[in-house]
Amino acid sequence: MIQFKALLSKELKEAFRDRRAMMMAMTMAVMAPIMIFVMSKVMIKEAVETPAVYVKIMGAEYAPQLIKSLKDENILSLKDAPNDEKSSWEERNLSITIPDSFNQDMLGGKSIDLYLRADFSEKANMSPIRRIKTTINQYAQAIGYKRLLVRGIDVNLLQPIKIIEQDTSLPNSNAMIISMMLGLYLLMAAFMSGLPVAIDASAGERERNVLEMLLCQPVSTVKIVAAKLCCASLIACIGVLLTLSLTSFSVSFIDLTKIGASFNLDAFTITALLLLLFPICFFASALQLFVAFQSKNFKEAQSMVSMIIMLPAMVPVILMFVDNKPKWLDWLPISGQSLIMEDLFKGLPVSWALLAFTGLVTISMTIFLVLLMAKKLRSEKVVLALS
Amino acid sequence: MIQVNNLRKTFGGSNKRLFSGFNKTKELGSVIALDGLSFTANDGEITGILGPNGAGKTTCLRTLYGLLKADDGNAIIDGINVVENPLAARARLGIFPDKFGLYERLTAYEQIDYFASIHGLQGDFKHQAIEAIIKDLDMEALAHRKTLGFSQGQRMKVTLAQALVHQPKNFVLDEPTRGLDVMSTRVLRNYLACFKEKGHCILFSSHVMQEVAALCDRVIIVANGKLAAEGTPNELCELAGETQLEEAFVKIIGSDEGVAA
Repeated sequence: MIQFKALLSKELKEAFRDRRAMMMAMTMAVMAPIMIFVMSKVMIKEAVETPAVYVKIMGAEYAPQLIKSLKDENILSLKDAPNDEKSSWEERNLSITIPDSFNQDMLGGKSIDLYLRADFSEKANMSPIRRIKTTINQYAQAIGYKRLLVRGIDVNLLQPIKIIEQDTSLPNSNAMIISMMLGLYLLMAAFMSGLPVAIDASAGERERNVLEMLLCQPVSTVKIVAAKLCCASLIACIGVLLTLSLTSFSVSFIDLTKIGASFNLDAFTITALLLLLFPICFFASALQLFVAFQSKNFKEAQSMVSMIIMLPAMVPVILMFVDNKPKWLDWLPISGQSLIMEDLFKGLPVSWALLAFTGLVTISMTIFLVLLMAKKLRSEKVVLALS
Repeated sequence: MIQVNNLRKTFGGSNKRLFSGFNKTKELGSVIALDGLSFTANDGEITGILGPNGAGKTTCLRTLYGLLKADDGNAIIDGINVVENPLAARARLGIFPDKFGLYERLTAYEQIDYFASIHGLQGDFKHQAIEAIIKDLDMEALAHRKTLGFSQGQRMKVTLAQALVHQPKNFVLDEPTRGLDVMSTRVLRNYLACFKEKGHCILFSSHVMQEVAALCDRVIIVANGKLAAEGTPNELCELAGETQLEEAFVKIIGSDEGVAA
């Protein structure tokens, strides 16, 4: 116990005196709230406002009524575009072609072909195209209904079946993207914050020849690894705590109700999140230490460990594409936690048994890694980085 | 007491041993570092290991700490086999290794404190031990500075202090005087002589002949991973028919027709 206390206090002293590593650890915590703040602002703006769309309209003079109804929806002719936006809209090249026979065909009750040309796969065009289509369809429908009414026909005859949509998603789900981002960031923080410390305590110490000295001392390798792990994961935990508290602070400045979201980080959510993330912090640090000890030198350790950071970034994204999730994803580290986090953000009830079980699996995998590392440190190959 | 029996250690080329055809033939690419080295360092004696570069001195000492595992043979410290019970064996050792580094973000005092705690010292006893070693090695001025930027000699002193702070029964020192100034070398010599009087076992490797001649009760000469000769400095001189230890050393390791061959 004296030994473990000495090992841990030395690791902590070293970690907290390494200013640069600490700064790197904490940038993640500061970045996340800012990113989430900016993202939400942008999303609210897009959801609430209908910004002006500029379209090249050929043959506008044949259909003044249609142009007027487009104008009412803030869809304007490219000619009227202000100079600073003109070039960007010209590049997007949205165009509507109205045939010169428009008026004649309208009077004759014939079907009119109107051309909408654009790059439909371009993401930036999607919202303008959607708006143009709805506006024109509504205009056409209004005329069609009037024609029927004039002929004394009930317009409801056109719609024998009407779908009434009942959305079962809870009001919170609309803020899904923001909460997904937060989940991703928290996982990343768990992985990123402890990283500089983990590499420094393993590959760094070996490179500075202090690890060899320590391994000649009468202290079991399990204690050494455990002390290093505790130190790195403590810093990861601090990173997660900081991210979470700063985010809940910054989110309070945004009026998310505008997009129908009641996104709130109350005491319950925060407790559940911390219970989820603390085991992940330990697991992440153990994984990083393991990979760093396995590598030949500091450089290799750095590049190998940065690959591990891909894990928390990729797993939640991959999970989004898997529709029929197999059961084992629920309790595996990272995937299990991110699935529970999803439920948590949706406002669905959290299965505490599942939460405890994933935590348990994560912790036992961590312990396994620690024992494996302790074994590796007894072999001369790892200690002296022989090939 | 440190006993080394028939140590063998080969680096590299070990995979080839799987094929019986290559067995017993000298493998290409592998280095035989130790080839059946045996010696004993007794309590109350200072034993010096001499040998040219690459003779296997450091490999032998690393096997003593349990850092390397010998292919064959064993090392025994105070009756404890290093491979079977490494922690108990290391607890009886004070180690000054070949390669050493310092924790650059700790002060010298904290660093010595760290190693003292690892050896199980605590409370007032620990602080007295640390204060004593700092005073003995004349390090008061360095004690509370961070070790980043220490000179080679200062770094050596810190490492020596951390090796000796728990007053181990056996000292193993790998070239302890390289980079030390004259004053510190003398301090170290006196220190070792004093521990010898108290009955500790001291084993150190060196390249400085005068030092070995002046300090050692027994000298072990290692060449090509084997014991080339052993005895008191005088015995070795007589064996080689020289008056100076340096000449004797050169003669013993120098030619194939040397005394040991």
